[in-house]
Amino acid sequence: MSPQDDPIIVTEKLEKTYRDNGVEVPAVRGINLTVHAGEFSAIVGPSGSGKTTLLNVISGLDSPTSGEVWLRGRPLSQMNGRQLSDFRRDHIGFVFQAYNLIPVLTVRENVEYIMMLQGIGKGERRRRVRKMLEQVGLPGMEGRVPPKLSGGQQQRVAIARAMVSRPALILADEPTANLDSETGAGLIDMMRELNRQSGMTFLFSTHDRMVMDKAARVITLKDGRVAEDRQKT
Amino acid sequence: MLLLKIAFRNIFRQKRRTVLTGLSMFGGFVMAAVFIGWADGSYNHIIDDFTRHNFGHIQIHEKDYLDRPSLYKTIDDYPRIRSRLEGIGEIDSFAPRVYSAGLASVGEKSAGVRIIGIDPARERSTTAFQKKVAQGEFFPAAPAHRALLGKDLAGMLHAKVGDDIVVVSQGADGSIANDQYPILGLVDSGDPLSDRTSLYLHVRDAQELLVLGGRIHEIAVNIGHLKKVGPTAGVIRREIGHPGLAVDPWQVFARGFYLAMKADMEGMWISLVIIVLIVAIGVLNTVLMSVLERTREYGVLKAVGTKPGQIVQLILTEVNIMAFFSVLLGFGVALALNSILASHGIRLGVEFSYGGMTFDTFKSEINARSFIIPAVTIFVSASLVGLIPALKAARTDAARAMRTH
Ligand SMILES: Nc1ncnc2c1ncn2[C@@H]1O[C@H](COP(=O)(O)OP(=O)(O)OP(=O)(O)O)[C@@H](O)[C@H]1O
Ligand SMILES: [Mg+2]
Repeated sequence: MSPQDDPIIVTEKLEKTYRDNGVEVPAVRGINLTVHAGEFSAIVGPSGSGKTTLLNVISGLDSPTSGEVWLRGRPLSQMNGRQLSDFRRDHIGFVFQAYNLIPVLTVRENVEYIMMLQGIGKGERRRRVRKMLEQVGLPGMEGRVPPKLSGGQQQRVAIARAMVSRPALILADEPTANLDSETGAGLIDMMRELNRQSGMTFLFSTHDRMVMDKAARVITLKDGRVAEDRQKT
Repeated sequence: MLLLKIAFRNIFRQKRRTVLTGLSMFGGFVMAAVFIGWADGSYNHIIDDFTRHNFGHIQIHEKDYLDRPSLYKTIDDYPRIRSRLEGIGEIDSFAPRVYSAGLASVGEKSAGVRIIGIDPARERSTTAFQKKVAQGEFFPAAPAHRALLGKDLAGMLHAKVGDDIVVVSQGADGSIANDQYPILGLVDSGDPLSDRTSLYLHVRDAQELLVLGGRIHEIAVNIGHLKKVGPTAGVIRREIGHPGLAVDPWQVFARGFYLAMKADMEGMWISLVIIVLIVAIGVLNTVLMSVLERTREYGVLKAVGTKPGQIVQLILTEVNIMAFFSVLLGFGVALALNSILASHGIRLGVEFSYGGMTFDTFKSEINARSFIIPAVTIFVSASLVGLIPALKAARTDAARAMRTH
């Protein structure tokens, strides 16, 4: 098997139903999905189609009602809370739509955070932070605090944080939604570039046509199901 | 670690809220420290004064005397013990006493009395007995065959200074003891029961009446510092080296008084409970608010792999940093206040009287516990209350917290 064929995410008959005041709201309704290592894929679909829910269940932040998620071959249902938390720390980088950063920590400290949880030494951390900030186009910004950065810069820091501990998978839920179209497209270009350089797998959701056009694979959800799965060549 | 940095910076982030939380802890600490210092000072002052002027801080008796007092349970070698006591530096003064019961009459009236033999010179320096003589005079130093009467006893007997009083009792040799004494003065001790029954004689007149020879029943000892009562009792015990004698601190022979004082001091704990409540409400309010506002941050922290325990730690660290600085600042302020109150005291508008003693100014005492007890109370209650928002934050559902709509 070539690395390209190695599935990093596999979901099987994945379902998630929320209970809202006794009313059952099916958000994900039987999704079978395979994402291979090194992919750069977008999940698109109308509001309420289940994009966020799917990403949350894949990452183990939320548990499915039924079905299974395998990450790098490990079934999430077999892990307890602590194991899940360690697994996320070591294998998944997160980028959310907004409020990604801890406002009282500097850019460097935000990017360092996961490495500190992992117990990586200070010298190594500093080196990686500097390199990573160069890669996301924010060299020398280590000492800044998030509230003093633009939205686009904050998202770049979030991407740096997600990538710096070298997880296999980066999950991003509408990373460009709070940015103007041009900045958003620039961010995605950068992500694509990092994906090519590092071989890390990117799975992100978006509404933005300009953004989804940059993805190598576009998975379209509708009412909690995969309506279309288009691989670009 | 980064968590400590986050905790520190979160504290400076919401200055107003931090100030509020800090103020409640600071205020609680200062109130408690001043209150305990003042209460300790006041109680110790009352105890010292009261025991000093009534019973002495320490008493020596024949070992069964306190349980069942009797004319025959005596201290036989008083002269030897006296010279030993005089050699102990911690002792301020001491006074020997003789006790018995009898019947006294003036003219047609008679009443049961408690005969108390005292050494006037020693009683002067030990209990300031002369101050309790309300009418007439106190005994001269040498035996003069005179009597002092409790003022209520004099009332019952229709006796006045200058009258003769006839006393009948039993001698230690089994004989009937009786004698007649001119009344030299009336005593107001502040204790109505004592003033209704006491008849005082010079210790040597009493020994003669009761045929006791040189024997006595009690030695009351006052020492320099009330707090040293336990160790000093030990020193006395060692020095007199007499297994047949008991040397007891005031807590033993003035048990009722001791228990009353102890019960009064329980009030202190109630005040601590109030302080705990103030701190609890202050901390709970503000910390809970900031936790609710920062749900997203805890969501991010959890999403990237922070464990619930670390989030609990983070919030408890924040609370304890605030507690630390509040207590530090409070310590300075409370120390200053306690020092002022230790030298000037608080004047009560009214006079407060206890057992014949009147007090109008109470001074604080500077001791370790008035700072340690409130400090421990603040840290413990802040941590316990902080646990509520901390657990709430630790349970943040990251998936839910990060949803932006
Ligand atoms: N906690 C919840 N309780 C009840 N229903 C929920 C909850 N979270 C999501 N839903 C519902 O689940 C469905 C899917 O929501 P989801 O957020 O996954 O959609 P989405 O595709 O991310 O939408 P958007 O583009 O608006 O972000 C929606 O109908 C939503 O209302
Ligand atoms: Mg969404």
